[in-house]
This record gives sequence, C-alpha cells and structure tokens, in this order.
Amino acid sequence: MSGLSRFYGYVGRVLRVNLTTREVRVVELEEGLVRAYLGGRGLNVVRLYYEVSPGVNPLSPENKLFFGVGPVVGTGFPLGARLNVTAKSPQTGILGDSNVGGHFAPELKYAGFDQVVIEGRSSRPVYLYIHDGAVEVRDADGLWGMRVREAYEAIRREVGDPGVQIAVVGPAAENLVRFSGIFFNRSRPAARTGLGTVMASKGLKAIAVRGDGYVEVAKPELFEKLVEEVEFEVYSHEQYWPRRVMGTTRILMAANKIGVLPGKHFTEPEVPYAFEVSGEMLALRYNVKNRACFSCVVPCSRVFVVKRFSECFISEGPEYEALAGMTVRIGNKDLDKALKAIELVNDLGMDVISVSEVLSWAMELYSRGVLSREEVGGLSLDWGDMEVVMELLMDIAYRRGFGDVLADGVVAAAEKLGKGLEIAFHVKRLEMIQADPRGLKGYGLGFAVSSRGADHLRSEPFIELSDDPEVGLMMFGEPEATLRLGVRGKGRLVAYYENLCALVDSLGVCKNLAENMDILNYQKVAKLVEAVTGMTLSVAEVEAIGERIVNLERVYDVREGVRREHDVLPERFLREPLKVGASTGHVIELDLMLDEYYRVRGWDVRSGIPTVRKLEELGLRDVVEDLRRMGLLPG
Amino acid sequence: MGLHVVVDLSKCSGCRYCEVWCSFTHEKVFSTSFSRIRVIKDDVIGMDFPIVCQQCVQAVCVSVCPTGALYVGSDGVVRLERMKCVRCGKCLDACPYGAVFKDPVNGFPLICDLCGGRAVCVMKCPTNALSLYPLTEVEVVGVEGLGRRYELALTEFGKLLERWGVRVRVK
Repeated sequence: MSGLSRFYGYVGRVLRVNLTTREVRVVELEEGLVRAYLGGRGLNVVRLYYEVSPGVNPLSPENKLFFGVGPVVGTGFPLGARLNVTAKSPQTGILGDSNVGGHFAPELKYAGFDQVVIEGRSSRPVYLYIHDGAVEVRDADGLWGMRVREAYEAIRREVGDPGVQIAVVGPAAENLVRFSGIFFNRSRPAARTGLGTVMASKGLKAIAVRGDGYVEVAKPELFEKLVEEVEFEVYSHEQYWPRRVMGTTRILMAANKIGVLPGKHFTEPEVPYAFEVSGEMLALRYNVKNRACFSCVVPCSRVFVVKRFSECFISEGPEYEALAGMTVRIGNKDLDKALKAIELVNDLGMDVISVSEVLSWAMELYSRGVLSREEVGGLSLDWGDMEVVMELLMDIAYRRGFGDVLADGVVAAAEKLGKGLEIAFHVKRLEMIQADPRGLKGYGLGFAVSSRGADHLRSEPFIELSDDPEVGLMMFGEPEATLRLGVRGKGRLVAYYENLCALVDSLGVCKNLAENMDILNYQKVAKLVEAVTGMTLSVAEVEAIGERIVNLERVYDVREGVRREHDVLPERFLREPLKVGASTGHVIELDLMLDEYYRVRGWDVRSGIPTVRKLEELGLRDVVEDLRRMGLLPG
Repeated sequence: MGLHVVVDLSKCSGCRYCEVWCSFTHEKVFSTSFSRIRVIKDDVIGMDFPIVCQQCVQAVCVSVCPTGALYVGSDGVVRLERMKCVRCGKCLDACPYGAVFKDPVNGFPLICDLCGGRAVCVMKCPTNALSLYPLTEVEVVGVEGLGRRYELALTEFGKLLERWGVRVRVK
C-alpha cells in the first residue's frame, strides 16, 4: 500500500456532537480505520463496536447514532451517493443499520465531514445545522410533533436555502414506535431497524446540512476513464431501461411470475390482480417524471400523480417494498389507496416493511378468528380494507388502542397478546421483506444470517434470479448456486454477496451497480479505490475489507447474544410447502444451507460464532480478545 | 440569445451530474459550489430546474460590469478576464436568470463558457435533458393555408422543440 499523503476522496474530519453536554468536537479521521474499513458502513460499525458496550439500552443516552459517508460520495462517480446510518437497534437489540440515497451524503461531505457521531440526549428538542465545517445546535421546540413533510418544509424555510439537505424524524419516532425511520428530504428514508426511534430518543428532530466544500480524487485521469467505462456498461445494460421506467416496482410482476409474492401474509404467492398494482401500471397511468440520487445515471425514482378527483396528489416513489407491502401483502387491490397509505406511512415516519408485516399479521389472525374484534380495538380488520388501514396507521404512530399493541413490532405484539408468534414473520425481531424465501432460497439464507435481521440488502444475491447454472458453476463451482430453487452453493453465494454489499455500503455506492447490475465487481472496486483515494489495494485486500466488516458485525451481534439458533426463518417457510404459483411444492431447506454458509465463512458450525483463525486472518485481534474475555470462543 | 445550453425540464432527473462534472472540468475538484450550472430542486413537488447562462446577445452582466472584466468574445460567448475583475458581484445581481454564481473560495464570478463548444454538462447529462442550442433547425414548408389551429399548435409545439435543441423555421 502506498501512503496517503492527504485524504483524497475524504474530507478527513469527523464531527462528534454530545447532546447531553452540547459539546461539539471535530476530530481527524483516523487513517488506520480508513485502510481497514474504508468509510460509511464499515466506519460506522467499527465505532459502534468499540463505543457502545454490550447490554446498553438502545433508547438510552449511552447509545450512539452514526452517519457515515464513503470516499466515493461527492465525486462524479455514477450511483455514488449513499449514506449509512448505524446505532444499536431498539427494534432488534442488535446491530441497527440502514442505508439511504438522495443528496444528503454528498452535502455532508461538502459541509466538511466524513462522519457524524451523535452522543447523549438533549433535554429539549433540538436540530442540528451543519454547514461549512461547523455545527449549530438549534432549538426545535416548535418542530416537535410535526410530520415529516411539514418539518422538512419548516427547516428549509428557517435555513433559507433550497440546497439544504434535511434528515427528519416524524411523530412515530417521537412516540418511540420501534420501527421509525429517518427521512431525508421527505421521501427517502433510512427506515429499517428503528434508527429514527434512536434519533428521537436523543431529542434530535432533524439534521440539516449545507456546504460549499469539495472532494478531490487522487488520480483524476484514471478516475475519468473508470467513470466512462461504468457509464457505458450502465447505459448498455439490459436492466437500464426497465429500471429507468419502473425502478424497483418492476419486481412486483416478476415476483408474481415466479410465485414469491407475500400475498395476504405469505399465503398467496401469486395473485390474479398483480398487474393492477404493478410497476407497469404505475408507469402506464401515474408516473410523470424521473428523478435520481446525486450523481446517478440511472434515474430510477419516479414522480407520480394520483389523478382521482378530490383525492389527487403528487409525490415521489414508491419502491417495490412499499408497493407490495401496501397492496398484495395486506390483500389490497386498489393502487390509488395503496399510494395514499404509503404517503401516510412516510409522513408519519415509519418503516413501511415493518408496517406491512404488523398489519398483515393482524389481518391473518383476525381472518382466522384468532383475534376477535374486541381484541383489535373494535376495528374490522378485513383483508384490503384501506379505511381501517389508514386509521390503524395513525393509531400505530400515536400509540392509540390496538395501534399501541403493534407499535413495538410483530414479535412484541404477539408476546403482548399471547398469540400469533408462530406466524410473526421476522428474523431477530426485524420484520420480513416482500419476498417468499421458499421460492428464493439464497434470499432466504440471506434473511436468516443478515446482521440486522430479516432483510435482503445485506446480501442481495440477485444473480440467483438468473436461473443460469453456468454462472453458478463459474462463480461458485456449483451450478445450483444461481438457480433460485437450488440449495447447494447458496452458502458461497450469500457470503460472496454479503462481502460485496458491505464493501459498496462502505464506499458509498448503490447496490444497483454492484449486486443488481453486476457492474461493480471486486476488480473494479480495487481500481476505484486507487483512483479516488490513492491507496493501491489488491483484489484480495479489497475483498478482505468486506469480509472484515461482515465479521465485525457478526461479533457485535454475538456479543448481544446472537447464535446459530437465531439464524432461523419462521416455521411457515420451513414446513409449509407453497401451494400455488411457480414455486409450488417448495419449502426452504435452511439447515443445509446454513452449514455450508458457516463453513465458507470460517465460523463455528455449531454456534455460528466466528473462529479465532478467521478473525485473526482479518486482523481483528482485539475482537478475539473481547470474545475470549466474555468466554464466547468455542473450544 | 446566442448559442447556449437549453433545458428540457420534463427530462431533468435532478441528479446534478452536470454540476459535479462542470466543477471538475473547470476547477479539477468535485463540488456543486464551483459549477456554472446549478439545479434548483424541490423534493415536495419533484422540481428539478437547471439554471445556466443563456448567452444573451445584449448581456446585462457585461453591461453592468464596472471594469470591463466581463465581455462577449468573438464567438459570442460571455467571458471573464480575471485580472480586471474586482469581485464587486454586480453581475451576480444583474443576471435575470440567476445564472452567474460566486466562487465560494475567491469570490470571482462563475459563468458558463460552453467548454469551448463541447459543453461537459450536455455531454454528461444522463437523461438527454440538456442540449447545446441551436443544435439544428428544421424548416416546415407550405403551412400558411393550414389554418389558425395549426398555427397555434405549431407555436406551442415549437416551444417544446426548442427545449430539445431544434428551432422551427416556417418557410
């Protein structure tokens, strides 16, 4: 490795704000951490690991909230606009982590920081205005209680600059609804794992950023060449136009075709009305304009208009998770009403995935007569009744009646009611996304082992949808690896893409470029890191960074009590075969895949704890010591 | 107006690729505060509005410049002679399009110079929202007898065509 004469690609500064003492510190970014973790997600998790001790209450002042940006962000690299937010999760009690696009991440860098660390708790509501290397802690008494859009507009007016980028939490977060997100300029949330709840628990309503700074790259000619190559590969990619027209909403029809939709709480993997609520329908009747994240050449976000007299509105989105969540998962066939519900979920500041699970879980129990009308607060919780849904969304956000039962997540709701735990679809208390793992086995394994609970974006083994055995043979030495219904080779598949996800989350690049379009591979990442930062890393060293992050996250979770027995999927997916659609007859053979996964990872197969050998190989000696002290090292 | 960058608002995605690459081309750093094109955005209504110099023939920025630092070159492009500039900011205030920006480090005005005819914002724009006007001209022949409604339609559609870098000439 060559030396970093200066922090090319980075600003070189970290902002620490203690809300209890109002102390603000600007510290230098540590070169050692950058070399080992790059930035973004990696930089966040290493600080979380060392600064937030095990057992800390996630909603106490001792928890910390990290906003990390990678070296690629703010350069003109395509799809390089991601921000990573991390804390201990109040939803799961383990790693809380969420990644978001938009324009906030580059603005934070231009404002002078690679990372912001929020510590302590303010006794009064405040918001931060970070600009040009400094920060103001401003009074937010008047903002507390405002919904997402209202708060965004109020702060924008107060700052008086249309270029300001604002992260806000909504009323749900203020009421400590466990699945509240942080919303960036209204429509882009870091929603998973309850990070908005952490932010609100600190008395922090919002963070506004604006800056006139800049980012320099180490090797401009190499960088320009690389950008041109990537542009060409993007523009000539077969997924470019579908993504531009529909974004991720195109997945709804695709998922219907292969029988993996979450229809009526994962009982209808295929629905006859899919087209009526599809991305195709949005493109046909609703979308008016494309939008993109900063420096992105795939404008996959869409502005849409609902043209229903007296109920018309304009907004941006949705993505597949929200779309399927507010349509098929809860049995709703009315697209207008789904869009309105999504708008409300966002405006209240909640994670639409978790919301879709608590709603559909309650609806299934209600439809089977397990929950009575009295138990659900007198509501008629019928599939697809959107009037009831709208009411319940408000009740969840403001913790009223049955909404209060649901506001701590599906597991807590089942525990409170003493029923329904067997159909609470979660992993490690994080509610499951909109895909049935019985028909997407790599994804299923990914949900089970993900460091933040049931989520696809830790691994995103999109390539298994290719159903091309030659790819599997070539990449993983196992043809089944890239067959969606295959079992063998999935451990290798998931481990490979988990490492890549960790790496691109740390660079600040979008997963569409790496996992979905398969353009940004390890070779290109090595070149990109060299062009941007000047560090010359071998392909193996680059891969090791991703693997190091995944291992550190695992140890963090292990420290909080996670073992192999927590790497599970709900019973329905393990035992009940799908009855209709193109994945009929399938369950998910999780144990077989897990064994392979731990072996590939170099983790103990029985406990799921990383081995000393693996941790030392990745340079995590301190971590080995920690595990030894806690008596967590297997034999 | 002379040769200038035109914008098709319906296509602009607000990605600001033009901004970062403009900044890099002129200043060798990636930023949005050193660019000569800026996208004004509103995330509530999905507004993305690129602001860039219209290369006015009777350029107000040039006429208000007290030192003659700003001038229209022989190619019709507004230019700045830094040696003469006193950084008074009169050009910033005078431009009716808001298309003169201030360098946040040294205070000099930043104005589009079309990159010598190959404007990097236009070349890099991912959605074809930017064109270097006039790219081309199209003649429509013998439309006089087609009636008032046709004329009206042509006038309105011509405005759209102009956003695509095509000017309609009725012959």
